[in-house]
Amino acid sequence: MRLAALAALSGMLAACGEAPVPPAGLVLALQSDPHSLDPRFGTDANAARLADLLHVALTRPDAAARRRPDLAASWEVRDPLTIVFRLRSDFHFADGARVEANDVRATYLAVLDPALASPKRAALAVLSSIDAPDPTTVVMHLREPHAPFLDATGLGILPAARARDRGEVTVGAGPFRVVRAERGERIVLEPNPGYPGGPPSLHPLVVRIVPDEVVQVLELARGGVQLIEDAPEPEMVEWLARYPHLVVRRSPGTSVHYLAFNFRDPHLARRRVREAIALALDRDALVRFILGGAARPASGLLAPEHWAYTPLPTRRRDLARARRLLDRAGYPDPDGAGPLPRFRLIYKTSNQPGRRRLAEAIQAALAQVGIALEVRTYEWGTLFADVRSGNFQLCALAWVGIGDPDLYYLAFHSTMHPPAGYNRGGYASPVMDRLTESGRRELDLERRRVIYARVQRRAARDLPVVPLWWEDRIVVQSRRLRGFEPSPDGDLHGLTRAWMEAGDAARAPDGPPEELNAQ
Amino acid sequence: MTGSLAGRRLVLLVPTLLGVVTLVFAFLHLVPGDPVEIMLGETAAPADVAALRRDLGLDRPLPAQYARFLVRAARGDLGQSIAFRTSVTRAVAGRYPATLELAGAAFILALGMALPLGIAAALRPGSAVDRSVRLASLAGACLPGFWLGPLLILLFSLRLGWLPVSGRGGLAHLVLPATTLGLGMSAILVRLVRTSMIVALGEDYVRSARAKGAPEWRVIAVHALRNALLPVTTVAGLQAGALLAGAIITETIFAWPGLGRLLVQAIDARDYPLVQGCVLAIGLTYVGVNTATDLLHRAIDPRLRDAR
Repeated sequence: MRLAALAALSGMLAACGEAPVPPAGLVLALQSDPHSLDPRFGTDANAARLADLLHVALTRPDAAARRRPDLAASWEVRDPLTIVFRLRSDFHFADGARVEANDVRATYLAVLDPALASPKRAALAVLSSIDAPDPTTVVMHLREPHAPFLDATGLGILPAARARDRGEVTVGAGPFRVVRAERGERIVLEPNPGYPGGPPSLHPLVVRIVPDEVVQVLELARGGVQLIEDAPEPEMVEWLARYPHLVVRRSPGTSVHYLAFNFRDPHLARRRVREAIALALDRDALVRFILGGAARPASGLLAPEHWAYTPLPTRRRDLARARRLLDRAGYPDPDGAGPLPRFRLIYKTSNQPGRRRLAEAIQAALAQVGIALEVRTYEWGTLFADVRSGNFQLCALAWVGIGDPDLYYLAFHSTMHPPAGYNRGGYASPVMDRLTESGRRELDLERRRVIYARVQRRAARDLPVVPLWWEDRIVVQSRRLRGFEPSPDGDLHGLTRAWMEAGDAARAPDGPPEELNAQ
Repeated sequence: MTGSLAGRRLVLLVPTLLGVVTLVFAFLHLVPGDPVEIMLGETAAPADVAALRRDLGLDRPLPAQYARFLVRAARGDLGQSIAFRTSVTRAVAGRYPATLELAGAAFILALGMALPLGIAAALRPGSAVDRSVRLASLAGACLPGFWLGPLLILLFSLRLGWLPVSGRGGLAHLVLPATTLGLGMSAILVRLVRTSMIVALGEDYVRSARAKGAPEWRVIAVHALRNALLPVTTVAGLQAGALLAGAIITETIFAWPGLGRLLVQAIDARDYPLVQGCVLAIGLTYVGVNTATDLLHRAIDPRLRDAR
């Protein structure tokens, strides 16, 4: 009797809440609010994910990070300084207007306008002018030959009339449009009726902001959320895999985690020391015990799926060789197997639990070759400020969503110290400089592949960083979600052609990614 | 008298908030991290970084930035959020109702549990009821929100399926976060109500009321409880302010779109104006609640009304 009363009470309480998502709808959880839904301003990962659903760009990347047509039906490099894009005529903004060359031109010019203070401006710095001779043709003129420029053509296009608005503009021509954005809580999207090939089937697509990882997992178990793309801790993934209404899908990812060295430190400036550190690490064990096996030991920054990847041997753990290298580098062990270290280093990392576990594992590994590591954990903003200003010896970081291999120029060219680039450790090599400069000037893909193979071999030799692993993408989704292919870099464009199957679908979803609970 | 008290508290409000804002301003600028670099990305052109820094007034000396902030705040303009590119007032006003709703519900729940349980325990000290209440309140005071929240979700949402896991919607969404936030406060208040009631029930005026033949409910509710409430209101007022701070964790656990979560996001992005706006709103609420507590004190205790 009491239970019945409680059940009735809970029913009444539930009735006071908001209406449940219709069967054709999908609720997706993200851990943080995107800073902006406007393609001119959003730079965080979740802003990029949502921009992909709301806006159309000239090009978009494929799984190998090559640029593929999106709004542009095709493009032609007329000469090293001129690219001509032919636009499709079947894209429409959510308000019904057709997307034309003038919209593309206005959006790019707005981003280039310093008054707008767009964070995307630096990526377009090489663009000298842009013409729209007719509604389906866009001509871009560059200041110099610059192969990575195509990556910048992933900029979402806004209607020309709104392109210079200083406020947030969310009107786009992507597969979905914004119905309601309750910041910090949820963003409700509905299909864009004018999307080429017909509007998406997911109606509505609700993006909920659920910051706590444990609660995301509990929401999935309860059914309040039907898709998460940010992998929870390995033990939680195992727990979720036991729920019959969920599918855990694992596929190779492109995010790379690495150990960064500061070359200004006299110990780490020596290649033998860096190599000894690389040889002291057991990456297979790190992947197995810290990530529950959900990663591949990395041989470089580019994952094997990337078009410019070149296979290189991964350094296996070899403690004897690591100790010999340290001896030859001028750091003999003062007391053999005794407690005194050869030298001490400070390792800075964020206070995220996984990062702390990695730090402890690296500390234990380096202790075996006589290097004492002091681990210091920081809040992310503080850590990042220290890393950017070169105030570190060792730290572990990650690259997410690597596009053009010009990343090697930004990360390893001797002039690319912050704020110009990402060379935070002060690595300098004339060979690397020459190679990365030619890589960004060369426009032919095959010749670039050859150049970047040399770049990767040079990086493996010089060890400006020690690549640790390429993290797998782990997606947990409702078994009812069909037709969704998770992308290697975590974008959500795969939801465009996905749908929710009626009832309690017992079949496993399509697609090649490995399913942990498919049996 | 009450009007003059409110006036005095309003006058005190200004230096209190000034102190809070000054401390936040100073500490925030001591912490490493640059909002412009976070906003424009790592590879922004130095000219763009300098231009935006100039636009935001971040190129000025700290005292000048501080003076500018104060002048604008006095006019009700808290500036623009660096990360969200919207007015700070709008961002804070958008989240404030959610925090107020959560903290208010937690407060009502805490008082609603503390008063009957505390009175019940005080009526028969040493009884099984008293021991159970004391044990439960001890446990309640020891449970941290980050542990209690997921535990409540596991039980009431996953196991029993009665309540939603997280988010803000209707009354059902409010139950678990309000319980998580209010339980600790309730545990403290239960013990205080019990102690105050035991003391009050032993006073001469209670014995006199009973001797005059007043019904027991009247003795408890009017004669004893009114006097016992004085220390309870003081502590409840202070705890209500603490609820706002505790709401940061509860809001994160339950995906509650309140001021606490906005504050965390603002700190991560080194969004100075937004952090200051959030802290100002929390500070104003804290001072407001404490002023209300003082006024309530005077309403309950006539002796305070006559005191100068």
